Amino acid sequence: MNLAQLLVNGLVSGLIIALPAIATSLVFGVFRFPNFAVGAQATLGAFAAYAANALLGLSLPLAALLGAAAGALAAMAVHRGVYRRLRERGSITLLVASIGVAFVLENLVRFFAGNEVRGYDVAVARPIRLLDLRFTQEQLVIAATTILATTLLALLLSRTRLGRAMRAMADNPDLAAARGIDAERVSLWTWGIVGVLTALAGVLTGLDGVLEPSMGWRLVVPVFAAAILGGLGDPRGAFLGALLLGIVEEVSVVVVPNEYRLIVAFVILGLVLLVRPSGLFGRAELVR
Amino acid sequence: MSGYLPAIVTLTAIAGIAGLALNLQWGLSGIVNFGLVGFYALGAYTAATAAVAGVPPLIALALAMAVAAAASAAVSLLSLRLGGDYLAIVTLAFAEALRILILNEAWLTGGAIGLPGIPSPLDGLLPAEDRALGFLVLAVGSLVLAFLLLEAVARAPLGRALRALRDDPLTLQTLGRSVVGLRAKAMAIGGAVVGLAGALHAFYYSYIEPTQFAPTITAYAFMAVILGGRGSNRGLLLGAGSVMVLIEASRFLKDFVPLLDATQLAALRLILIGAGLIAILIYRPQGLLPEHRLEAERETTAGEEDHGTR
Repeated sequence: MNLAQLLVNGLVSGLIIALPAIATSLVFGVFRFPNFAVGAQATLGAFAAYAANALLGLSLPLAALLGAAAGALAAMAVHRGVYRRLRERGSITLLVASIGVAFVLENLVRFFAGNEVRGYDVAVARPIRLLDLRFTQEQLVIAATTILATTLLALLLSRTRLGRAMRAMADNPDLAAARGIDAERVSLWTWGIVGVLTALAGVLTGLDGVLEPSMGWRLVVPVFAAAILGGLGDPRGAFLGALLLGIVEEVSVVVVPNEYRLIVAFVILGLVLLVRPSGLFGRAELVR
Repeated sequence: MSGYLPAIVTLTAIAGIAGLALNLQWGLSGIVNFGLVGFYALGAYTAATAAVAGVPPLIALALAMAVAAAASAAVSLLSLRLGGDYLAIVTLAFAEALRILILNEAWLTGGAIGLPGIPSPLDGLLPAEDRALGFLVLAVGSLVLAFLLLEAVARAPLGRALRALRDDPLTLQTLGRSVVGLRAKAMAIGGAVVGLAGALHAFYYSYIEPTQFAPTITAYAFMAVILGGRGSNRGLLLGAGSVMVLIEASRFLKDFVPLLDATQLAALRLILIGAGLIAILIYRPQGLLPEHRLEAERETTAGEEDHGTR
């Protein structure tokens, strides 16, 4: 396979983890803990969309929107039921709670769906050839969805009152509260957005591969590697970190076997933490 | 059914040893080791490959402890320049990476098929019919030793420093102690103990394969530590016992709820573990047997003693 094709494939696999990496960075920025339930949230979204797609017979785009809504509701409910009650206890308690949330969400899916491998009900389409490159329909859908969602999020963060409030809370929660920002309302919205992003990523992961209950768990390490690569807490960095990680993973198959992609992610994570813990694009003050 | 009780006690003892290790790392020192199962698996595979290759089982066990301790300390050094919550990610990534390695390096680990025929330290010492009971004694004896060792650590000056690492790393640094060094020590001692648990696992089953080392092992250990009360070793024993009773009791659930299949029961069990973990964090964060006595001791003497360490 030529290098340009590897780059294309790498970009697409980077785009798959971009949304949850951005979501992880948002959670870390606003709530200051690493959310280990990000993978399980993706699984939940993927299966909610599957239920709408395969059982109710809706088209995949419509089903994905329903999955995103389900993901948002679940994330908001978890915030109300779990994270909000533990807010004062510090990041370590919150991150341990998030692994509890991960177990509950993943196994709720397993309870209803079982362990069998599934796929979305979509028509098989022929790959498109352009110059020397080959793009599958799935790759185009993944790229379009991720870029659209990222653009909308960027507009939301930079242009709306909610986005400004989120950034204010991430910068300085006390100051934000003093300026009359309703922390609870902003928190709820943030979790809603995080739920949408992770659920969409779940659908895209299922479209790219297959659906099974541990699909999200396998995303956790690459997602964190990407978010840390971009500087944890910085959504824009997370997007770039995801693309970079995807490309490095894909190109690394030239030297290491394909099964070792996750080890490549681990090595990158370790190197970044040792050499540049604020991330490639991070400011020094982000170092904790 | 006669073999059921010894098996449960043996497995509870092994889980208790792993729980004690986590209690030192997370309970006492505040290091969130989400990759506990990775170090457990490392202990199991080290002991198994060494013993299969002809190394005497007790030496293989010591080797497993040493390798798991070294790996734990090395992983903790990745957070050299960062706060402790990054260790949660790094340890989890280590465990996942190790799982992939074990699956793919079949020449060494047997891959997905696993490693059969692992010799046990009891081979040749006991007739086959006494083997279960003999292993029970070995496992419970190891649990007692690990408990005594970790109680000694908790009471030693090192234990006080580790508690400060959890509660107030900034003051610790101000006093001139190395946070990274203490983290590495806590990880190494805990690593040796969890390596022991892994080695016992390998000897007990005499056959290991990757699915035995699922992340649920980490979740059970966290549940045991939270239930018992973070930092309390006696609490941990109670917590580990309670978790095992819950897990085993849920096996009998299928007699009462015949509509559920095996997958659903397993899922239900993990939902309960996850929800239980969250519920204890919210409603009873100090656990069943909190480290009361130690808290009082810290208030009166920790000030002077911390200067005396090292």
